[in-house]
Amino acid sequence: MSVMSNPATVGSTAATERVRRSITGGKADVKGTIFMLLMLMALLMSVVILAVLVIDMVTQGRTVLTERLGDFVTGSMSSQPEASGILQGLRGTFWIGVFTVVIAFPLGIASAIYLEEYAHHKSRVARFIDVNIRNLAGVPSVVYGILGLTLFVKAMGGIVGPNSNGRSVIAAGLTLAILVLPIVIITSAEALRAVPRGIREAGFGVGATRWEVTRHHVLPYAAPGILTGTVLALARSLGEAAPLILVGATTGYLSGGTEFLDLGALTDRFTALPIIITTWAGRPGEGWVSVTAAAIIVLLVVVLVANAAAILLRNRFDKKRG
Amino acid sequence: MPAVAAVTACLALTSCGGGSTSSVVVSGSSTVEPISIAVAEFFTAGNEAEGNEKVSVSVDGPGTGDGFELFCDGLTDINDASSKIKPEQIEACESNGVEFIELPIGNDGIVMMTSESNTAVKCLSTGDIYALAGPESQGFETWAEADELATEVGGQGDLPDAPLDLIGPGEESGTYVSFVELAIEDIAEERGQELQTRPDYQASADDNIIVQGVQGSATSLGWVGFAFAREAEDVTMIEVDDGDGCVAPTETTIADGTYPLSRPLFIYVNKSVAAENDSLVRFVDHYLGEAVDSVADVGYVALSDTALAETRERWQSRTQGAA
Repeated sequence: MSVMSNPATVGSTAATERVRRSITGGKADVKGTIFMLLMLMALLMSVVILAVLVIDMVTQGRTVLTERLGDFVTGSMSSQPEASGILQGLRGTFWIGVFTVVIAFPLGIASAIYLEEYAHHKSRVARFIDVNIRNLAGVPSVVYGILGLTLFVKAMGGIVGPNSNGRSVIAAGLTLAILVLPIVIITSAEALRAVPRGIREAGFGVGATRWEVTRHHVLPYAAPGILTGTVLALARSLGEAAPLILVGATTGYLSGGTEFLDLGALTDRFTALPIIITTWAGRPGEGWVSVTAAAIIVLLVVVLVANAAAILLRNRFDKKRG
Repeated sequence: MPAVAAVTACLALTSCGGGSTSSVVVSGSSTVEPISIAVAEFFTAGNEAEGNEKVSVSVDGPGTGDGFELFCDGLTDINDASSKIKPEQIEACESNGVEFIELPIGNDGIVMMTSESNTAVKCLSTGDIYALAGPESQGFETWAEADELATEVGGQGDLPDAPLDLIGPGEESGTYVSFVELAIEDIAEERGQELQTRPDYQASADDNIIVQGVQGSATSLGWVGFAFAREAEDVTMIEVDDGDGCVAPTETTIADGTYPLSRPLFIYVNKSVAAENDSLVRFVDHYLGEAVDSVADVGYVALSDTALAETRERWQSRTQGAA
């Protein structure tokens, strides 16, 4: 903002134009224009793909969303598309989100702070850990599903799901929290790395401890970047289906699983929105096509709401930093 | 963090509100799954109306084979099956001490389909089907190429000289297994061939995609379950001749078994769990009682009255093992 309010630049559009012309010799910047158009096309492509998806889903799911949105959102899984609802899926997805926020976020951000602020960057151990975390972020999600199956469902089944052979939403939440942990660590570390050295040095210069510098200067500065990373991680964990299949999400029918805040039911069998979508998509007939589309729209809205919450938070931090 | 603390507290107390005390876990065939789901819905609704203790019911459909692995490990109470339990599955159950009750609950037919615009094919003999899709047909690219083999194995032959676009369920599907058993096994065994389809056909796990594939080519040949074929538009269901004339796949011909490519559907109930878990008993009672119409409601063919009476008798006497 300081540049814009500089009196020397006020009303200088004509001057800028004059200087540019003298540099280019009056020739049009063909290469530059082509480059810009290519970039624009790349951007438009992703926008168009998203638009096609949304339009397609809204057209297919329109009847469900307009005629029985209430029943659809508060209803349970059913053998008939006209009676199907997604409440159980919403509950599962809600708890998976809670586990991600409560477990993956603090652990991930703390790990990133240690790696960036405390660990010696050049030490072999730190570098080894860093490389490994980057690799973990690229491991396919099914592999985490197998990890969740062996670790949480089989080994810890008696704790996470004594009445469901371990196939509980706790096992699913823990699995997805672990799945997104590397993403949280990497993005948080990048955000911390982007904080100018000068800020830390100024802090140390006035005698602040490392913790005080991190807490009061580095973290607030990096908060928007960290939040962006956590948004990506949350969206990923809400949308994953493959690991949930291995952890044992119920695909066909579930009688309970509608009470969001019933903590005792966390050890029962569960399902989640992506699982419901995958199951319904494979069923025959027009009715299933439209409830599948409607469920996809709801999942998109859920992810959007989660993202919007994080963006609002980020703007708050941005203002503070401002 | 408070949420985690609360969850841990709950776990320590083992029972804090809402955790259900009895459950019924159903898994197995994805073909039978819709029936079990419909029954579970009736059961849950009825249970709530009567104000009984809450029963947690879950239904999955990973496939008959995967279902039996879970069932024989004692992880599920009921296994849905679209083909009869196999000797090795019985062995697996026996070695884990799992005793089961076999209950036939309905029938499904496998339907050979072609595009509606294909008027040259109305009826195929089982020999023709073997010659078009069996293990010896690999490489046949037109219907007519199968003529010689068809007549050799007792089919009618005289197939149209048109491209053959084959599409069907993949090997992991229960429908594949039944297709092999119903349409291919007899002839293949006689001729010392492997019990399988030809490998070079378009395979899909999704019945919708198979139907789309059949619609997409004027000279296609595909096969799916009766429930899917009946829902499909722009396809012709081909009649099948097993030596007694052409029989079209209909509810009647499948229920009485005159349509050659039909198969029975089962549920397998864990006997020792049934002895302890009252909810499971009530669930199966419901399956064979008030909810038995679900079989027809979700698109399969209901048992005849005598067959249903036999099934009920097997359940009442807790007859162990396969028939």
